Amino acid sequence: MASSLGSAPLPHRSVANIRSPGPGSASGPSTPLRGIQSSFGSPSSLRADEDLLLIELGTRKLHIGFAGDPVPRGSVWFGPDQQRRVGDFRVWQPDHKDNWKQRAACGQWGQDHELWKSDVRGLDLGLVSDKIERAVREALTKYMLIDSRPRRMVCVLPSGLPIPMLSTTLNTLFGRFAPPTISLLSVPIALVVGAGVRSALVIDLGWSETVVTGIYEYREVHTSSSIRGGRMLTEQTHKFLAARLGQGQDSTSAGATEYLLSFEECNDIACRLVWCKPSSHSTTGTPDDGLATVDEQDETEAHTHHDLNPQIDIPLRSCEPPKSLSVPFDELTEPCENAFFDDSRYSRASFDDHELPVHILIYRALLQLPLDVRSLCMSRIIFTGGCANVLGLRKRIFDDVSHLIQERGWDHVMGKAADEVRKKSQTKTQGTQPAGNGGGSKSPRDDQSNIWHDAANSSPDADPIEEQLKKASSSRPTVKGEMRAIESLGSWSGASLITQLKAPAIATIDRDIWQQQGAAGASRATEVDPKGQRQSLGPGGLIRGAASSWTLGVWGVA
Amino acid sequence: MAPLTPYTYIQCPCSDESSPDADDDDRTFDPRAARSNYSLYGLEYLLYCEDCHQIRCPRCVAEEIVTYYCPSCLFEVPSSNIKSEGNRCTRSCFQCPICIGPLAVNSLEAQPDQTHLAAPDTPSASHGGPYILTCSYCNWSSTETGIKFDKPNSIYSQLAKLYNGGEHRLTPKEHKERRKEALQASAVSGDPLPDQTLDVETHFAALKAFYQSQLADANASTTGLSSLEGLGFASPASLSRIMSIYTGGSLHDKRAKSRIGTMREALTSDEGLQLASLDESSSISALRLHHASTIPPTTYQHQTPHLGALPPHTGGARFPSHLRPIPCLLRTKRSKRCPLCRHIISKPEAKVSTTRFRIRLVAGSYVPSISILPLNIPQPSPDGALAPLVPAQFLLKFLNPIFEPVRVTLATPSKTPGRFGAKVTVLCPEFEIDANTDVWEDALKDGVAGKDVAAGARVRRGTVGEDGQQQPEVGKIWERGRNWVSIVVEVVPASLRLDLLAATGKFAGGEGVDAGPLREDEDVLEIPMFVRVEWDADTGGDDVGSGVGKDQKEAKEKRELAYWCVLGLGRVRQ
Repeated sequence: MASSLGSAPLPHRSVANIRSPGPGSASGPSTPLRGIQSSFGSPSSLRADEDLLLIELGTRKLHIGFAGDPVPRGSVWFGPDQQRRVGDFRVWQPDHKDNWKQRAACGQWGQDHELWKSDVRGLDLGLVSDKIERAVREALTKYMLIDSRPRRMVCVLPSGLPIPMLSTTLNTLFGRFAPPTISLLSVPIALVVGAGVRSALVIDLGWSETVVTGIYEYREVHTSSSIRGGRMLTEQTHKFLAARLGQGQDSTSAGATEYLLSFEECNDIACRLVWCKPSSHSTTGTPDDGLATVDEQDETEAHTHHDLNPQIDIPLRSCEPPKSLSVPFDELTEPCENAFFDDSRYSRASFDDHELPVHILIYRALLQLPLDVRSLCMSRIIFTGGCANVLGLRKRIFDDVSHLIQERGWDHVMGKAADEVRKKSQTKTQGTQPAGNGGGSKSPRDDQSNIWHDAANSSPDADPIEEQLKKASSSRPTVKGEMRAIESLGSWSGASLITQLKAPAIATIDRDIWQQQGAAGASRATEVDPKGQRQSLGPGGLIRGAASSWTLGVWGVA
Repeated sequence: MAPLTPYTYIQCPCSDESSPDADDDDRTFDPRAARSNYSLYGLEYLLYCEDCHQIRCPRCVAEEIVTYYCPSCLFEVPSSNIKSEGNRCTRSCFQCPICIGPLAVNSLEAQPDQTHLAAPDTPSASHGGPYILTCSYCNWSSTETGIKFDKPNSIYSQLAKLYNGGEHRLTPKEHKERRKEALQASAVSGDPLPDQTLDVETHFAALKAFYQSQLADANASTTGLSSLEGLGFASPASLSRIMSIYTGGSLHDKRAKSRIGTMREALTSDEGLQLASLDESSSISALRLHHASTIPPTTYQHQTPHLGALPPHTGGARFPSHLRPIPCLLRTKRSKRCPLCRHIISKPEAKVSTTRFRIRLVAGSYVPSISILPLNIPQPSPDGALAPLVPAQFLLKFLNPIFEPVRVTLATPSKTPGRFGAKVTVLCPEFEIDANTDVWEDALKDGVAGKDVAAGARVRRGTVGEDGQQQPEVGKIWERGRNWVSIVVEVVPASLRLDLLAATGKFAGGEGVDAGPLREDEDVLEIPMFVRVEWDADTGGDDVGSGVGKDQKEAKEKRELAYWCVLGLGRVRQ
């Protein structure tokens, strides 16, 4: 293993590691699988492009490293200092004053911290290309310490990336860094691999939006998103602070929002101080008496902390004149509340599809998943993204979603009329059959909720194929049907695992073909013969003939 | 507002190729467009390829690495270590996580100065005890995070074995042994293994081991051809692929496909499954108490996610107690080549301690440099800002660095692009600059040939006005020296008043007038200028000899260099 493993070398060469470490995996006497030991490899280790560059592009930052490393070697954040001219040192002059107001004047509040926005209309793709180019070049020079010989690259990209931006990214990388091939991996898949599971519900609390992706057997089966993300949190933080500065933002005239504080300062406060209060459902108690004990503890804790609700002094430097705000600690949950939940003030129907509160978004995503997929996904919830670092937010979302499930079950129909119908039917079906939770939960509290399902209540027919499959699968029980959150290594590290384990990327694009054909040359993912596709992924492109049909994977034209 | 020093930036011609509308000849370069910040460079950042006769910017050079070294201890790191040990100094060089100043290793024990005098031959006694890293700039010390070291050297490896708070971090080997013991214990007692929280590296290692064992299991169940299933990046797979071509087996038989289903998911923490503990109430109460000491996100961005640092999902990574000293990033010395002709255009000395270059073809010795001087600024305000709508004159001084006389042609748009277009007039857009000959040679020539261009003597070409002041004249250069020429540029800055802008926009009938507030740096008067330099060069002769063989006219070759540059003249008063 030539890859760096940070500080201490891991025992990757030890026999114990190669063989199964777990007690259950019964591996017979077999030739142990060889990892990618590039330094011990055969003649091809002489190749210059032996080491793969793994680049993850996000809206605000870029991670870069060698495939096989546990963590990226460096991260480059997109920001205004990256957009200055080379040799422009005016910022370092002692009398320099950051005139953020002029930058914010043309609707650019915070946009110079972003690589792209998901709205491609009016987006200067050339500028995106320049930003990527400079960031990758900086990363290669500063963190990777490699020369500019062409190396193969793996790109980890969000699966909802529009084609123009994907095309720009590939054009930039192919044009400026000339890698022979670029493989594409999607962020949710990488996260799932990084968590060690095969199916999961990935909740990416990202910068520009929150994306909920249902993944079943390493395939993205459902994606939905809401604009409630880090950007909104920062804007809400600004709103919160501006209101306390005495000059409430005129929210009605959204076109001419005047900013009182700089983006940097608001972002700073959002990252440092904003937290999320525990779910109200877990403290007030729901009609259902099946509450988890953890939630009860929260209630007592919340009570004890109410006594000490200190005033927090927030020094604000970017306003004229600099001020110091004194805010009670508990009020600092307000931006988070408004940014991610915000369902207290409005009825549920008042939200557009793109601005659903996060817990409703997740509930809907689960609801739209097929039954068996849902049961697997709900017990493998992965929180990721920058906003997952907001203290208490993950638990709040988790509790709210659990509450929604308890309250409504898996029923698409909601509203007062539906509730009445449900009540009636409950009296009808009372005592006949214990209601099965859609996820097949065995927990008693779900049984007590007595939710009426007609399909779920019927006992499933015995399926001979299913039974065979069950026999084939390991004897270990898989956790399903209960809400459970798991941790992932992160998308970069997951992608590093995928690449190191030689799993095929979603799409691998050859430089020559891309430069001839561009994004228009890609076939649909379904049209591509998987055999041919796999072959074209071969090491060093041994079989180039199969490259006649290539695909952009999930990013391609649907 | 800080007074603006006039500046010049040059756009590297390489960025022109990438622009989609390169066929449009009339296109003027807009220095204020967001993209131009990425293609403009100060002259000192540019290199020059002598063979392609082209400017090379940092974007259009191919780089090769000469040396890797630590900027702190100047230790030269062999290139093989970069791959295996990472991009940071693995000795004792650390940066302060707060202020990124260098950290020093200090002994915790106070040095008894009395005993130092009394017993100078026992330094070990005075320097014993635990050691800490301290920042001499901001007084941060590693005791704040509970880290102390036993030895004063090889801090990096010691730090890798410590969590913040001083808890011992198991090395992977120890981790393995610990698990083995626990496994045996659980086999005896029958209890399942306890789940544990893993740090990032251990988690990664556990997952990797798990996946590898799963793949190995699957391999055992198939014919062994299934390694082809994977995308083979490394050689073993490619070898087996070649083998399979000759054996003629179908690459994807059904068995290979069916084995996908046999890979199960990780079930224990030993296999890499980590259940999330979503309860962050302790962190919240910590925030409640220590809110003033949270670290800004910019500080956290500097943190390297390794060396046993807490995984990113522990949530509380916002307190100073979570900070870890940052090992110094290694640096490189790079030689640069022209990407087209592969000639070396910059090559530093391999030794770390020298800053010399063996080869360095900086653009400044090939491209005329432009310096800007104010000539006639009416109504100057105390901060040096230009008055709007009043003509101001600037001197542009072109200095010829090469040993040939050059002809310079300038072109500017008559009105600068942008919302506030200033009127620009270059009084003398075509002129010739004499060669950068030796000073003494010129003096000798002066005596012999009696040229009117005397060495070092300034020749003014303007007419003298009534008040005794020299008046600039159209078509004439202002002043000429040995290898320099200065010309006059007259600008009429536009008024920065937004109401005027809106009014004129309405008057002109334009609808899309952007009457938004003033943007950043929009008050800076910047002139895009297209510079074309022509000269006759000796074919094949090197530039050093060309000055001597100046009067031999044979084998001359016409060369030209053309590029956009941006002149920043000053701020316009608002």
